[in-house]
Amino acid sequence: MAAAMTQQAPEPRAEAAGIDVRFRGVSKRFGAVAAVDDVSFEIPRGSFHSFLGPSGCGKTTSLRLIAGFEQPSEGEVEIAGVPMVGVPAYRRPVNMVFQHYALFPHLDVFANIAFGLKQLRPRPSAAEIGRRVGEALELVRLPGMGSRRAWELSGGQQQRVALARALINRPTVLLLDEPLAALDRKLRRDMQMELQNLQREVGITFVLVTHDQEEALSMSDTIGIMRDGRIEQFGSPSELYDAPVNRYVADFVGESNFFAGAVAAADADGATIRTAQGLEIAAPYSPRGRKLAVGSAGVIAVRPEIVALWDPAESGQALADYRFRGRVRNRIYLGDQTEFSVAVPELGEILVRAPKGSAAGAAGFAAGTEIALGWRRERALALADG
Amino acid sequence: MDRKQFIQQLRRYQKGSISRRHFLGVTGLGTATAVLASAMPELVWPRAASAAEIGDRVSLTTWPNYHDPANFEAFTAKTGAAVEVAVFGSNEEMLAKLQAGGTGWDVFVPTNYTISTYKDLDLIQPLDLSKLPNYDAAAYETRFVEAGSIDGVTYAVSKDWGTTGYAVNTAKVTEPMTSWKQFWDLSMDKYTGRTMVHDYQLTTIGNALKYYGYSFNSIDTAELAEAEKLLLAAKPHLFAINSDYQPSMRSGDAWMTVCWTGDAKQMHRDLPEIVYVVAKEGGEIWSDFYAIPKEAPHLEAAYALIDFLLDPAVNAKEVLAHGYPTADSRTTALLPKELAEDPIMYPAAELLAPLEFGAAATLTDPNRAEIMARFKSA
Amino acid sequence: MAKAATSDDSAKRRRRWTALLLAPAGLWFLALLVMPLAVVVVFSLGERAPAGGYAPALSLANYLNLPARWTAFRNTLVLAPIGTLVCLLAAYPLAYFLAVRTSPRYRLLLLILVIVPFWTSFLIRTYAWMFILGGRGLPALFEWIGFGEIRLINTPLSVLIGIVYGYLPLMVFPIFVSLERLDKRLLEAAADLGSTPWRSFRQVTLPLSAPGVITGCMLVFILLMGEYLIPQLLGGGKVFFIGNALVDLFLQSRNWPYGSAVAMSLVILMLATVTLYLRLTRRYGGRDVSLL
Repeated sequence: MAAAMTQQAPEPRAEAAGIDVRFRGVSKRFGAVAAVDDVSFEIPRGSFHSFLGPSGCGKTTSLRLIAGFEQPSEGEVEIAGVPMVGVPAYRRPVNMVFQHYALFPHLDVFANIAFGLKQLRPRPSAAEIGRRVGEALELVRLPGMGSRRAWELSGGQQQRVALARALINRPTVLLLDEPLAALDRKLRRDMQMELQNLQREVGITFVLVTHDQEEALSMSDTIGIMRDGRIEQFGSPSELYDAPVNRYVADFVGESNFFAGAVAAADADGATIRTAQGLEIAAPYSPRGRKLAVGSAGVIAVRPEIVALWDPAESGQALADYRFRGRVRNRIYLGDQTEFSVAVPELGEILVRAPKGSAAGAAGFAAGTEIALGWRRERALALADG
Repeated sequence: MDRKQFIQQLRRYQKGSISRRHFLGVTGLGTATAVLASAMPELVWPRAASAAEIGDRVSLTTWPNYHDPANFEAFTAKTGAAVEVAVFGSNEEMLAKLQAGGTGWDVFVPTNYTISTYKDLDLIQPLDLSKLPNYDAAAYETRFVEAGSIDGVTYAVSKDWGTTGYAVNTAKVTEPMTSWKQFWDLSMDKYTGRTMVHDYQLTTIGNALKYYGYSFNSIDTAELAEAEKLLLAAKPHLFAINSDYQPSMRSGDAWMTVCWTGDAKQMHRDLPEIVYVVAKEGGEIWSDFYAIPKEAPHLEAAYALIDFLLDPAVNAKEVLAHGYPTADSRTTALLPKELAEDPIMYPAAELLAPLEFGAAATLTDPNRAEIMARFKSA
Repeated sequence: MAKAATSDDSAKRRRRWTALLLAPAGLWFLALLVMPLAVVVVFSLGERAPAGGYAPALSLANYLNLPARWTAFRNTLVLAPIGTLVCLLAAYPLAYFLAVRTSPRYRLLLLILVIVPFWTSFLIRTYAWMFILGGRGLPALFEWIGFGEIRLINTPLSVLIGIVYGYLPLMVFPIFVSLERLDKRLLEAAADLGSTPWRSFRQVTLPLSAPGVITGCMLVFILLMGEYLIPQLLGGGKVFFIGNALVDLFLQSRNWPYGSAVAMSLVILMLATVTLYLRLTRRYGGRDVSLL
């Protein structure tokens, strides 16, 4: 959502020179099914990366390939420049926060967190272990909870224990498998902030797997959008939002109104789509999208925040290239902005978002009101429909 | 598998485990058969086409492999009453069951030395010999039937008799064996780990007493103490204390065992190298009886069954099946000549002479029971 | 008011139902456990009637005479724990293999194979071992191979073999269940934290299967304490358990009072064992422990 966009994620750090995770032509097949299909990418050191996609898209398998729970059928996996193929999970400099935390039920919080330290050879002294577990508990803001049992803790607390446990060995890469999925919305927001802060504090590369676009957009430096075992697009959140490669990405990152049809005309800068109703709509290509061929399936993506609303009696809004009449079906007040759902005979249901300061936001058209709407051609995107 | 096949299989199995009384009873399988029979008599015995006036069933409590099943079928065919057979492991168990009451037994097979105890405890009833036309007291050898009568009243009629000697595998034991002294001495020396004794105090203690020449029935504390000493000394050398000795003898694990007539007969028939010794010092001679418990629920059927089994023609088939001699001269006359002259079934007179019948006190003496228990748990 | 009365009524009704539903179990418990136990206690204070059985008395003589069965107690108290331990050592790898290493496709089949022996009478199966361990069985094979003459049947070893054979499934199943319930991600978590497979087994699998191990051990141990058949058949009457002593006392020497005293002491031994079991399981606390 736009709210996520307003709190811009930090740009990937240029100074973080090396590459912490590198996939080169990696495939993982289970029988005939390719869970990960010829995937290549690089995650820079110290960045916060997310894999985003629906279930079954291969994001979790990618994470497990990094962790070492799976070995690739083809290709190479490198961590901090070291080839990892054939290296078992227990020898990799990565640690994971599991989806349902996977805390050891037979151990208390202290022993759970200390688990990683106790596997080190030579084994740290008891005093050293005590000190570092204490620090870890401080880091995740659970001081004094060491003697509790895992199941006595709330979901958020378990989450923090899992984090502390995974961080205690100071891994090169921290892997997070849907770590916030089990938390309620409010707690999830808090934990998102905390995770970001934590990442900045410890300076470790984080790799997150999630199906929650808001989570990915709000926390990540880079995101890999996955579908059917492949990465559709790899980039920063703003890049994905502003320059999606296709409809799938545009749909997954933020919200859009899509007008699909055949490409009626195309040139080097943009394309015109003819919808099923015979309407012709033009827009420039997405900066990362590909050029469309005439006759192929295309789509015009119109983000809700670029659509303007006005009272049809007024003559203003000359800036809109496409203008339609419609009727407000729903109005949802969101505080900092207002969301309208408008029925337009030629287009169907259009989603419009007006910031608090805008004219439409102030006018607050009620449901049932006849209104006019429109957008500027160059702010929409012509994308491949796939 | 139909009902008949099932029964045949069951019998075969029972026959396979062969020993006279211990195994099935002790392990509870015999009891299980009894329970099965009483719960579902029609499963074990086909219901007769016409039930005669004696009722449709009669229960018999006996020892394992002690009858010819064909005789029971014939009885059922003749009278319409199905025979429910239960097998037991020891006289003590039978006594315990009857003392507890509510057995539902119609006929049972006590051994000579138990009858007076049953009578004293008022657990058996006097027999109305008029209902046993096949019983002809004159045809029986007195010494095998006298335990059935107390003060001139007949409580039990003779089934068969036998001796308790020992069996020897002559392929392994080369010495000519004639005495209990040899039996015990060689068990503790040359043939260590190869001898079995009964899990039965009467015979095991009795034959230990014979080592010293004491009475088989002794309840003298000093004599019993000596017997116990012998038993405890022998224990580490024994192969087993188990009345189910046929399997181990047949397999060659055990080379000598305390043994009853019928078992010896059966083993010798299959493995001629296993011979039977009635020791020269003596030992036990015994006789088994048919008796009717006081509470027998099918009295008429009980008499009918006993009378049927006493029929010399029927009894001869019984003898052929179980291998124990009968005291009934009419039956013996019907047996094949080689059986009537068999030295296992009918030992020489000079060997029979010193044998003793077990006494009631021998069975119930608490001291003997405790010595046996100490011997076993040592 | 009306509403309060209704809810009160329904509570009462519920209680009545609860009582009704519990009644059969309660009666069962009373008639088949409490009362017989009371009879055993009373008998154990009595004395043997002259012809055997029970005669009323009030004496502790039977309890004071318990040392006379010391061998039976010793055999039981030595062979039951060793049998339990050997069962555990044999069952754990099997249960682990079934729960962890076997594909679900074959698991059911293999589990059924573990149970199949139960379809035949325990007596007959144990009887069969008499022949396997007897002179013409395994010892003959060993002799043929050249190990010399080996005596198996009627030794403590043959009793132990019978015990392991007979009780293995009882040990396999609780362990299998606890291993199957074990969250495989915990092992991944352990590996992820740098634990080698062997250390993961020691630090995660083993402690988390402890409830199954404890349940299995108790099951086997308690049954072994009362074992009768295996020592009888495979011990040849020479390896004597408390169970054998009891059968002897009740059926052969018919000394019911003394038998009752031995039985009571066995019950007390069992109680002590169960208490120890509960104490042990409490250490693992709460939800992860399956009670017997």
